Amino acid sequence: MEPVILLIVGYVVIGGLLACVAAHLLPVGGAPAAMGTATGIATGTVQIMLGAAMTGLFTAASVDTYTDSLLLVTLSGAVGATVMICVVMFMANIIYGFGAGVVPVSGRVDVDPITKEPQAPYKTPQCDGHGVPIVVFVSGSLGGFIGGFGGALMYYTLLNYAHFSAGTAAIGAISIFVANAILAAYNIRGTIEGFHDPKFKRLPYALVASFAVSLLCGIVVSLTAVLGGTL
Amino acid sequence: MPIEVVLLFAWMLVIAFLAFIACTFEDLESDMGSQSNPNSQVQLAAQVGQINRFFNKAISGEPLSNAMYCVTAGTIAWILLMQLEPLVPGEEWKAAVLAIPIGVLGAVVINIIFSTTSHCGRTAAMKRFEQPIYLDVLYGHLMPIGAHAFMTTFCITCIAYIQSNIGTLSGNPALDHPFALPLLGFIWGITVGSIGSSTGDVHYGTEREFQDRPFGEGKRVVYHGKITRYASCGIRTQRDIAGFCAKFGGPCTGMTFGLIILFTNWTTLVGMQLGGFLPNLPAFTAIGDMAAIWTIVLGLLIVAALAVGHLIFVKWVRKKCGPFVGE
Repeated sequence: MEPVILLIVGYVVIGGLLACVAAHLLPVGGAPAAMGTATGIATGTVQIMLGAAMTGLFTAASVDTYTDSLLLVTLSGAVGATVMICVVMFMANIIYGFGAGVVPVSGRVDVDPITKEPQAPYKTPQCDGHGVPIVVFVSGSLGGFIGGFGGALMYYTLLNYAHFSAGTAAIGAISIFVANAILAAYNIRGTIEGFHDPKFKRLPYALVASFAVSLLCGIVVSLTAVLGGTL
Repeated sequence: MPIEVVLLFAWMLVIAFLAFIACTFEDLESDMGSQSNPNSQVQLAAQVGQINRFFNKAISGEPLSNAMYCVTAGTIAWILLMQLEPLVPGEEWKAAVLAIPIGVLGAVVINIIFSTTSHCGRTAAMKRFEQPIYLDVLYGHLMPIGAHAFMTTFCITCIAYIQSNIGTLSGNPALDHPFALPLLGFIWGITVGSIGSSTGDVHYGTEREFQDRPFGEGKRVVYHGKITRYASCGIRTQRDIAGFCAKFGGPCTGMTFGLIILFTNWTTLVGMQLGGFLPNLPAFTAIGDMAAIWTIVLGLLIVAALAVGHLIFVKWVRKKCGPFVGE
């Protein structure tokens, strides 16, 4: 077996695992967040993760046209995804604050682990928090960075090691990313605030499933490359 | 500064402006047809006895449906461009002027078909809760939905066209984005839907759907399904909602996407300029690496600025509003 195949499978597995971790770090509020009934971003896990990863992928693809460094391409993808998620969280808070008069507050902890500010007195009764408080913003930024890194790593691997065309590499990377994000969504079951949420402790279960899926994806990518004659 | 570089930056600003328009209309389209997360309340309304005249269009999650429209428009436009561009050598933009609107019209037709079937299907499923299908609501919303969708898909397809030809348009074809037009449409379709769903829906779901509830608090679980059904004059339909959200939620959402497009393109271009990559394009050398490093550094600076801005805003709004004082 050629060593490059091991490299492809290894990087795809790492990228998939990072995508799974990132989905757990993002503040997913789902439908309740759209009514200010839950903390986080008002959409589903896969949807926001995909949006961030796409932006990261676009930046990574642009940077990949003028550098062949793996680290620089993946880091630029990570930064692109982080910018996307940070702007979304910031602007969502602007709408919560000015459009609905809602104060950002975490529903899962009584005291913000970073700023040590109290959360419970600001929370509306019968709500699971609302808005994007500071700890959630930090967790979301980390999630964007890790997810963008994973997505760009897979794109780079498919493009430069498996020698797919740019379009095929992008679609392949996105597909593996989506599979892992959906696994994470099953594990999250609705809403999650980030690393301080008790649901985050379920991460190891998702990682096992993600490893299996990513390994399979890596093997399929390698087979496609070998049979397609690009490797 | 060479004219190619100036043109690159000018096109980037055009793209950012188109992104602003696209996401504003995307959010308003989802408000007009009640797609995405707040639609759960419209679904729930009839089940808790609140017969309403809302349009109920939950085709799928916004990212996926928008990606579908943008890819459809992009593919039709791309095929037409392949056919038309050889007819006007040297003036390829003339082909784009015809191809893009035709592609977008195709996507809008699909949108209207999906809107009709999803509204009728979902409302018919509520027969047991005595929710009728109001035909005037159905007919009256299809054209506004189609018009908003046209604006969104048109702007995204234009962004994809400009990005896939940005080098050619600014005088250096080597700078064209490696992704084809339909793939760029897919990427920005997913992203525009993702942002419209996560940012703009808050104004519709938290404020406009529950406008007769107290302002300044999260909407409690007991309110769920009991949406505001009466307008300032008569019974509320989605057309009142889009007009309201166009004053704040829509532009904020547009600004979110506009800023994202601006930041991602701006960091790349400024990085290329600072690294000495423009206008000669000496690819895969230390200069290319330097350009990438500048891109990353500028991106991290923007992230840091956003984090500080967020920190200041959260502290300010908590101080301004204070602890919860209701019951």
